[in-house]
Amino acid sequence: MKTQTYTVNFGPQHPSTHGVLRVVLELDGETCVGSKTHVGYLHRGIEKLMEDRTYPQVIPYTDRLDYLAGISNNLAYVQTVEKLMKIEVPERAEYIRVILAELMRIASHMVGIGIYIMDLGAVSAVFYPFIEREKILDLMCHITGARMTFNYMRIGGVAQDLHPDFIPALDKFIADFPRFIEDYHKLVDDNEIFKARTKNIGVVCAEKAMDYGLTGPNLRASGVKHDTRVINPYSIYDRFDFEIPVGETGDCYDRYVVRMREVEESFKIIKQAYKDLPEGPVMAKVPKLIKPPQGDVYHQTENPKGVLGCYVVSDGSPKPYRVHFRRPSFNNISIFDELFIGHKVADVVAILASFDFVLGEVDA
Amino acid sequence: MYGKGLLKGLSVTGKIIFKKKVTEKYPEEKPQLAARWRGGFQLDVNECIACGLCERACPNSAIKLTTKKNEENKRQLASYELNQSYCLFCGLCVEACPKNCLRFTKEFETATYFKEKVKLDLFNNQNLSAPASSYAQLDKKKETEGKEGE
Repeated sequence: MKTQTYTVNFGPQHPSTHGVLRVVLELDGETCVGSKTHVGYLHRGIEKLMEDRTYPQVIPYTDRLDYLAGISNNLAYVQTVEKLMKIEVPERAEYIRVILAELMRIASHMVGIGIYIMDLGAVSAVFYPFIEREKILDLMCHITGARMTFNYMRIGGVAQDLHPDFIPALDKFIADFPRFIEDYHKLVDDNEIFKARTKNIGVVCAEKAMDYGLTGPNLRASGVKHDTRVINPYSIYDRFDFEIPVGETGDCYDRYVVRMREVEESFKIIKQAYKDLPEGPVMAKVPKLIKPPQGDVYHQTENPKGVLGCYVVSDGSPKPYRVHFRRPSFNNISIFDELFIGHKVADVVAILASFDFVLGEVDA
Repeated sequence: MYGKGLLKGLSVTGKIIFKKKVTEKYPEEKPQLAARWRGGFQLDVNECIACGLCERACPNSAIKLTTKKNEENKRQLASYELNQSYCLFCGLCVEACPKNCLRFTKEFETATYFKEKVKLDLFNNQNLSAPASSYAQLDKKKETEGKEGE
């Protein structure tokens, strides 16, 4: 009997592609023998839009790149401009930035882990992380007034000081969060179905991960100890004591484990920063009209999804000549075409989910 | 033993069933919004000095205002339109306002059936009855107090 392969469009309108990613899969029965990833369905031309905005007006647009971690994107952009203008940020603002960026990392990983496990069929496992994420979004809301598009960082500091409601809410969060971690490990870690679906699926060896330019938890799951916060500290990250969790084999299960441990490390940083939070101003002395000197600057920060690089070219006018973002998700999903081959369709879903990418960032 | 992990997970679910519910009874009970909530807009026209800083701060040119001269040859607001379909709710206009007359409100049910209602005519409908948000308000007050003290 003669058989032939067939082509299936996976996405762009498919809940498991986490947005509008389109993967054209060539299948032999249920095994993937070829794959082509198409991106661009969520392209809004953000980098071009930024060329027509003044430097502070760019900040709300950065929220919409990786929309699950708005604060982290804000941070990357404002630090780049500060680097260009050589602005010293007040201590209190730096601490607030770190606390919020780490809270944001937890919130982003909560979605990443929750949706990942839901895609594997465990619907109840998505609600526990989402409850925690909801608490974090409420915390953010006290300070910034928004839940996802924060627009909180400013060139030279942060927009406003902490709101009095924020402190008790953060205290409560710090008291309750370890309980969640404990419960969630119990719920998922030893689950036989989860292990069967993820162990030795989508294995990325360290060399290949580096070849493809993977960053963030996806790279660390392959055993590469790379974290911008440690190897090239920005802001005040060199003052905190935390570890870089790494995986062993680089399979889907390791990517879950690394994210979970990263959440714990972030929680450690939040506790340290909150303890040392100094008093003082939250905004440096910055001219009303921000006009950086001519030149260009590149800066990298560690986003929840990986290394976010920001490149700003200034021609001395109040508007940037060019802003470019190295979006981690875009590089992370470049490995898909090679990684899918040889896996079953259900495993393709598991691999997709385990990479935790955001299409807003991929297409920009 | 196979299935031990599943049972362990089920025990967590079983415990949480008897915990307090975390969901809100939304339409019956209105949610408690944060003090700095960025929802709708309100404009105190009597306070406004028609400086146009909000118009210039907006990244998307969602604000269009015109001015006129009054009898004392002072600049006065003639019309003020905020097109919410272009609005990012970034708050840069509210932060730019030197007189704190453009403010956010704590409204959140802003969906409408009519396209015309998306454009806010804040000159004729100042929307002052809506609960005001403290976004970018407290800090400004503190700042001005501090300057007066010096």
